[in-house]
Amino acid sequence: MTRYFSKSISALLLLLSLASCQRAWVASPNLETTDVPVEKTIVPDPELEARIAPYREQVTEKMAEIIGRAPVELGTADYQSPLGNFVVDLMLAQARERYEGEIDMATTTNGGLRIPIPMGYVEMGTIFELMPFENELVVLTLDGHTVKAFFDVAAEAKYAPVANATYTVKDGKAMDIRIGEEPLKLDQNYTLVTSDYLAGGGDNLSMFKNALKTEKVGLMMRDAIIEQIRELTAKGQAIGADTTMRVTVLP
Amino acid sequence: MNRRDFLRTTAVGAAGLSLVGLPFSAEAAQSINLTILHTNDQHSRIEPFPDDGRKYGGMGGMSRRATLVEQIRKEEPNVLLLDAGDIWQGTPYFNFFNGELEFKLMSDMKYDAATLGNHDFDNGLIGLERQLPHARFPFLIANYDFSDTILKGRFQPYKVFEKQGLRIGMFGLGIELEGLVSKNNFGETVYQDPVAVAREMVQELRQQQKCHLIICLSHLGYSYQEEKIDDIKLAKQVAGIDLILGGHTHTFLELPELIRHASGHETLINQVGWSGLFLGRIDFSFNKNSKRRTDMRTALLPVNRPVTSS
Repeated sequence: MTRYFSKSISALLLLLSLASCQRAWVASPNLETTDVPVEKTIVPDPELEARIAPYREQVTEKMAEIIGRAPVELGTADYQSPLGNFVVDLMLAQARERYEGEIDMATTTNGGLRIPIPMGYVEMGTIFELMPFENELVVLTLDGHTVKAFFDVAAEAKYAPVANATYTVKDGKAMDIRIGEEPLKLDQNYTLVTSDYLAGGGDNLSMFKNALKTEKVGLMMRDAIIEQIRELTAKGQAIGADTTMRVTVLP
Repeated sequence: MNRRDFLRTTAVGAAGLSLVGLPFSAEAAQSINLTILHTNDQHSRIEPFPDDGRKYGGMGGMSRRATLVEQIRKEEPNVLLLDAGDIWQGTPYFNFFNGELEFKLMSDMKYDAATLGNHDFDNGLIGLERQLPHARFPFLIANYDFSDTILKGRFQPYKVFEKQGLRIGMFGLGIELEGLVSKNNFGETVYQDPVAVAREMVQELRQQQKCHLIICLSHLGYSYQEEKIDDIKLAKQVAGIDLILGGHTHTFLELPELIRHASGHETLINQVGWSGLFLGRIDFSFNKNSKRRTDMRTALLPVNRPVTSS
């Protein structure tokens, strides 16, 4: 009887398998699978919650840590701005400390700088709000034409502050582009530090995908900002931006 | 067909069985059930996503996952809990505690094994070495050679798990580090061709270790248009892997992908997005005597609500 039963079960299972073959999963009917949503209705495991609790408290505390001071608010604006200049300058400085070769310039985009650095004491949490993304610094090696293409977009779109470079905008076009003090040479290669997000062509900077070489610095954008502010504070200096003219806009 | 329809179809099949009143356990007694639970790209998501109306708001959280895992362990005799890499980076918990809490919580949940993702190098080899004592589970990685680094001898290429006489061979594969991870952070770690290494692993696990099931924990990524090796190409180029649990590309698969190798061998590929929003679950049944995978389905349906995977 048992044998008969198990035989018929096998037959039925086979039938089911075949039937499900038609509708469900063609090749392997012997597997049943799912992914299980980790939903809010699930009660958290008390032991793990207890494990997490002291860390959670510390996260809250650390977010409230004052890491620096800004005498004036640093915000973004077209072409150049206190926040834009501050961030691209520190990207260049922090990357240069870690990268073996030379780095000519830096850029990021205003879209990635989510809030201004407020006037007064600056908390760690503010920097997490300013830079919530897990972007990291990369050094791109670009040929002169690609650099030119970048400045053309920067001149037109206005949202990409630059470090160690200057240019003039006329009729939405970039002119008199200088890297450091030197005029841009189209037959020369340049190194530029930016975020991995922009290096991948984000924010319409698709020309960065033509990079001859892409190298990670090994530093997250947010950590670079925090590091710079901590260094300033250690030296007794406040957060502030270089305000010399980088972009001249002609009428 | 999406995952929800698939589950519904399966549910009807299971219900159909019990309606005819056949003793399911008679067959079940002759089989070994194995439940694979898996995550990938957790990215330091200790807490659930904030429940503020965003996509996946309120979902995830490691202590909730622990509850789920514990429930399933109570229901199932043989459970393996696995992770396919990028445990680290993504929340202040990693920035402040350097991955310590992630490893501790995974140990509490009794993870059986994990592999290394590129972000697990984010604090360099030294950063990884410092946290390893907090991980009471092995990292399996077969195609990174750490011989000339401080992590020499700290990882195994593979591990064999035994459940009711069933031998499950498991190995790990990592993505090419060059260009993805700063040289400062991976140092003298040597990346080796995943295809060649996987072939060796299958040979070793199948022939020498007499494994009945071979699982690859992969951080190669699900699928790339360019030539870069991915889980699909791996399954097409290497015969003999039964299951690839993937990561890196944060892919939410509606259904696991089934790849048939030229030899006829079938490899199942699954990946469950990122951040621990979902727990992957795959149930296998094996004949108790032959240890061969049987056609029998388990009647158990772990999903009590419709799954939306998009």
